[in-house]
Amino acid sequence: MTPSESRGIDRREFVKAAVAIGGMSALSACLGRFGDGAESIPTGTDDPTSLPDRQHAWNGALPSDDHGNHVLASHHVLLYADYAGDGTPTADERETVESALQSLERAFEWSNEGLLFTVGYSPRYFDRFDESLPDSVDLPEPAALTSFEDPDLDTNDVVVHLASDSGAALLEAEEALKGHSDTANGVEMDAHLGDVLDLPDEFPGRRTGFVGGGLPAENSDVSGIPDEADVPEESPLYMGFKSGFDKNQATEEDVTISEGPFAGATTQHVSRIRLRLDDWYVEQDQDERVAEMFCPAHADEGTVEGVGENLGDDSGAGDCAETVREDARSAGRVGHAQKTARARRDGRPIILRRDFDSTDKGEAGLHFLAVQEGISDFVATKTSMAGEDLTDTPTIRQRVNNGIQEYTFVKRRGNFLLPPRTHRALPTPRPE
Amino acid sequence: MNRRTFLAAAAGTTSAGLAGCFGLLETRTAGQPPVLSDRPDAVYHPTHVEGMQMEEMGQSGDFAAAVMYSYPHRFWTVSGSAVTKHSIRSDDAAHVMVAVWDPETGVVVPDAGVSIAVTKDEEVVSEEVIYPMLSQPMGFHYGANFALDGTANYTVEVDIGGLSGVETTGSFDGRFTESTSIDLDLSYSEAEKQNISYENTPDRAGDRTAVDAMTMMDMPLGIAPSPDELPGATVGTASAGDAQFVVQAVEADRFGGGTHVAVSPRTPHNGMLIPRLGLEMTVVRDGESLFDGELGAVLDPELGYHYAGGLDALKSGDEIELRVTIPPQVARHEGYETAFLSFEPMTLPVA
Ligand code: HEM
Repeated sequence: MTPSESRGIDRREFVKAAVAIGGMSALSACLGRFGDGAESIPTGTDDPTSLPDRQHAWNGALPSDDHGNHVLASHHVLLYADYAGDGTPTADERETVESALQSLERAFEWSNEGLLFTVGYSPRYFDRFDESLPDSVDLPEPAALTSFEDPDLDTNDVVVHLASDSGAALLEAEEALKGHSDTANGVEMDAHLGDVLDLPDEFPGRRTGFVGGGLPAENSDVSGIPDEADVPEESPLYMGFKSGFDKNQATEEDVTISEGPFAGATTQHVSRIRLRLDDWYVEQDQDERVAEMFCPAHADEGTVEGVGENLGDDSGAGDCAETVREDARSAGRVGHAQKTARARRDGRPIILRRDFDSTDKGEAGLHFLAVQEGISDFVATKTSMAGEDLTDTPTIRQRVNNGIQEYTFVKRRGNFLLPPRTHRALPTPRPE
Repeated sequence: MNRRTFLAAAAGTTSAGLAGCFGLLETRTAGQPPVLSDRPDAVYHPTHVEGMQMEEMGQSGDFAAAVMYSYPHRFWTVSGSAVTKHSIRSDDAAHVMVAVWDPETGVVVPDAGVSIAVTKDEEVVSEEVIYPMLSQPMGFHYGANFALDGTANYTVEVDIGGLSGVETTGSFDGRFTESTSIDLDLSYSEAEKQNISYENTPDRAGDRTAVDAMTMMDMPLGIAPSPDELPGATVGTASAGDAQFVVQAVEADRFGGGTHVAVSPRTPHNGMLIPRLGLEMTVVRDGESLFDGELGAVLDPELGYHYAGGLDALKSGDEIELRVTIPPQVARHEGYETAFLSFEPMTLPVA
């Protein structure tokens, strides 16, 4: 995309498009058009020990909104990569990976304004070692999780997740990791991941997305969103509601593996969900959407105003969880949040969601990324969400009147381990 | 499998010739007759009758499926007791229907959780959950209106989630639970669509009768077995909400000991099975209640889809009360949307 082609497109939409396209030309267009240049992105630190040991410790580096909810960075790239060598990684290769990652940390501030990232490893990656993962790590191969889905299963060795409010920072980091550029944000790269990993340029290996007020509405000209739909301007996600309230998220502490060689790690599940919002926006009114996203009581009581900014730091889904069976009978439908809230432990969800929307493949989609101590926590939450146990009530079917499952279609699933920073470079199953 | 046009689908009427079809075209696109203003709260003959185009049948796992299409329809969905009309949208090209049945017995499988993904040259045109529906000529099927991308060969991936909330008995035990998907071809053309029969029926519209079932098709329809085809002894037939409830007392090993009281609801006129309703039963003997509770949905090779509860035995003089607690949660084609919505309690004496 050249700047002239993009005339008339507003800045953020342009940045989002550049991230979706990727590559050096998108990057220079991004830098050229807005002077969103290297100078404006804060640089990072020479002292890796100043950074949290948990790769998933992002909350401390994210801003909060007026209610104390953490606000996720707006632009995202996921790179699904494979180890390029034969056998098991060597000490030199580990050194290369660690030094590439430390270069990024020098180049960008560890924040939404600079760059946040994680590196995850799949069960398939660990299969190449003689030893197996310790019992303290709950990381099965990905699998279909409901009777009504048939996803492709991601089996790449590695997934790198990059996030920033600056599209230019994301693209620079990506190009530098791949070795297409020797510097990032004006800082010299000591090494590149591309020397050790095969990094992708296209979907499904390369996935992109965005989240935050305005972005979905500006990017709603994609398949899956009907022309008649009015995605609310202030909505951070395509489906028209705010998500990720502080009280409806697990804490970073809760999702951290506490013992064994991977103490400080967490597991990451990433699914790609196709959104088909015709019936969501055209057949349903706002009350019906509130009932299906939250719970029927929220619709009756007018609990959710607009996109739900008024909810503060708690969606109130916890209270609805108990009435889910009654609601199935009396309201004829059950809500997404109320069903998932049945999977809480000690009053809190057991997964920490960091999902974002996407236009990959020209389709409205959502990359559902969540971290949790073990994949079984994700499975338990997903099982509660599926609500197959509620289908003995005539009103509730697998996908109709059953939360948001009429409009969301899971296409891919993958499971990864995010080791602590000390073991993030091509770890063995039993690092010391 | 061969593709056939079921011109005769407008059953009982002389099938419209080509010229007739084109003549009707304007009526159709310019607007079907409006929904009648004075519909009975019962099954009635719709304002118009359409045929359909059978495309392909296929089989995978425990399921067989067929895809067919017709003109876009208005239809009504039912959630709890609320009825929502779905009007035809300007970009709707066709009403796409999927039938799902057991390839071994031909028994139609309701509640199988069906969605379809429509692709053209590998590109996604649409993906939707399609509604369980009742229509007079077809009975139970799955369907929705779709916007297509013009005349083309489409692939319809029929994704079947598997039976949920329904118990299976006899040779059906453990079947229909595994999900599967079946790719079927749909070659859609505007011109071919216009060959599908269509007839306005002002003379019959609103009458308390129904369009005949399309029994000439070699695809099984969701017709409930007649009382004398059902196993066991018929206690009687009650009716409410314009639906008929055949009550059978069955004793068979597959139902364990005692008597399996089976209730088989069906539409009047053409006896189409009615799935997905909430039903309670009370059985009283000498003023004392022997059974008082909800009946579960069961799919049985001989009884078909029905609702059931177990008790030791029924005796002459017992009284059965049936109460519909949730109206059938299936979408309705025209002619069914005002029926089966509110039900008085029913009582049946045991002779
Ligand atoms: C298109 C996809 C999805 C959208 C738009 C969506 C949106 C939402 C919204 C608006 C809420 C209520 C506000 C909040 O608590 O943040 C919520 C709650 C929640 N969602 Fe989702 N969600 C999606 C998919 C999923 C999936 C796949 C899972 C994982 C199984 C999930 C797990 C949860 C959990 C755990 C909660 C909080 C429940 C509680 O309060 O205990 N969501 N979601």
